[in-house]
Amino acid sequence: MFKYVLRRLIVAIPMLLGAMSIVFFAMRILPGDPCIAMMGDQATTEALADCTKNLGLHRPLAVQYADYIWRSVQFDFGKSLRQGYPVSEYIARMFPHTLILVLAAAVVAALVGVPVGILSALKRRNPLIDYPLRIFALLGLSMPVFWLGILLLIFFSLRLDWFPLIGAGDLDGVINMVKTGEMFQYPRDFFAAVLDVLHHLALPALALGFTLAATVSRLSRSAMLEVISQDYIRTARAKGQVERAVVYKHALRNMLVPLLTIIGLFVAIALTGTVLTETVFTRPGLGKMLVDAIGARDYPLAQGAITVFTMIIIVVNLVVDMLYAVVDPRITYR
Amino acid sequence: MAIARDASEIAPPLEQAPARPTGRLLRRYAPIGIGIVLAVAMIVIAAAAPLIAPLSPSAQYSDAVLKGPGFMDRHALGTDEFGRDIYSRIIWGTRISLQVGLASVIFGFAIGVPLGILAGVQGGRCETSIMRCADMLMAFPTLLLALIIVTALGGTLVNEIIAIGIALTPNFVRLARSLALQIREQDYIMAARSIGSSQLRVMARHVFPNALYALVVVATLYIATAIRTEASLSFLGLGIPPPTPSWGNILSEGRQYIKCCPWITTFSGVAIMMAVLAFNLMGDALRDLLDPRLKGE
Repeated sequence: MFKYVLRRLIVAIPMLLGAMSIVFFAMRILPGDPCIAMMGDQATTEALADCTKNLGLHRPLAVQYADYIWRSVQFDFGKSLRQGYPVSEYIARMFPHTLILVLAAAVVAALVGVPVGILSALKRRNPLIDYPLRIFALLGLSMPVFWLGILLLIFFSLRLDWFPLIGAGDLDGVINMVKTGEMFQYPRDFFAAVLDVLHHLALPALALGFTLAATVSRLSRSAMLEVISQDYIRTARAKGQVERAVVYKHALRNMLVPLLTIIGLFVAIALTGTVLTETVFTRPGLGKMLVDAIGARDYPLAQGAITVFTMIIIVVNLVVDMLYAVVDPRITYR
Repeated sequence: MAIARDASEIAPPLEQAPARPTGRLLRRYAPIGIGIVLAVAMIVIAAAAPLIAPLSPSAQYSDAVLKGPGFMDRHALGTDEFGRDIYSRIIWGTRISLQVGLASVIFGFAIGVPLGILAGVQGGRCETSIMRCADMLMAFPTLLLALIIVTALGGTLVNEIIAIGIALTPNFVRLARSLALQIREQDYIMAARSIGSSQLRVMARHVFPNALYALVVVATLYIATAIRTEASLSFLGLGIPPPTPSWGNILSEGRQYIKCCPWITTFSGVAIMMAVLAFNLMGDALRDLLDPRLKGE
């Protein structure tokens, strides 16, 4: 097991370096000068030269690249060209917003997608149940998250006025209250702030969660179909076990391995979804930060955001691989 | 436990076995039928856009700014903030979506499949290096990779096709490799080698044709992914720049007016969803029809 973990880590390092290189060179061939983007067309040649020097953009590309890789492995992504403060600080501030969105969407997706997938597999010979569930999954897959988000905004925010149109509530305030222990001194304020955050979170989580639920339900359905066609399920039925026991005691447990694979895929899809969801709902977060940074040609910020996204995906896939053996003891790592 | 006394209690009489063949056929072929009808409709609309669109997609009607839909009116689906006809823009937008969807999948297929087959058949260092590059690209979700590339190259039709095509390439590499790994163990490959066929001939004449049907099924599903990715890029303002009508940028522009004029976002979103649905239905149905393990499910 240890050897396997080590081998996977060794494979993950060049993958991460490669991904970081792609990001670096893609950002460097961006059309337009970041200094002109920052200072405007009216800036003098001297001012532009100063800006280029200050940002280190006058150095040879190879030097900039080596510097970027060396600093990135220490989680130092430089300073934001526009905001002026460290990118890692900015990422640390945005990360909780994206994290709670992904977690809330995961809850929605799991609560909707897994039961729908399992039911659709178990009732596959009953078209009255299977077909509507499959159509639900297909619609969810075909519906772009940004469009669903806009529809939810039109209906629940503009027409019914149940949810706020933009923003994410005072999540920083909530985190600060937890850190400083003020949540115990002012519990009423704390819960009000938490409720406000959840109020802002509901629609984005629903939009992202629904599109993810479609993927989850399809994957759960095929995982369940795979499991219930196994010999041990037939044996359990032949022994006279009731269907519910067959499902709960045998099928669901053995579905855990394919479900883990789903989680690995899920994180990649969810992170992509946050880019669009945060943009639609004008929520702060890594996704919106990335889109804004690209628009402003803020290299370090965009590089930092993409690097963090990639790191998360690689690490999650690694952890999922490790968990296979925990969930299913038959899997061994050689 | 009751014991069956004769065979008729265990198995139904033979004449009852093929029950409701029409229903079964409908169940089996309805999704692919709907998918094909929607996809063909999309192709016809894209090809005949100048004939079908009642107005120019860029013509601005100052007397009809942000006009609501009226199905008997000049602007059946309403107008946008510049007074442009949404119906005509959506029809012209079909061209962009379809072009990007098909061309980027062909691009990814043309690069990914030969590399995947080469990796699968050749093995060794060649396989390792191809697969590590593919893994590196796979670390990025499709939209994120397309976003990076299109940002670097600029938002034009060709650049969008290249960006989405590159983002899809590793998926084709992986699939083609896994198919090639299975096919290379077949007897007919050994037979081809034993009569002196070159590696290139084996790959082109035996491995590729045998992998083709599975690759085409997946390619159909990736057309849906490509259309959705194009719409997402345009929505983020990184795709084809306005005033060229694409579904994503119609939706993105309409976002500012959702309070007063929700029809702009609603109709363009419906167009995206129908297009993605068409290719998802076709891909799913083709996979179910061609994968013998799923037959009868």
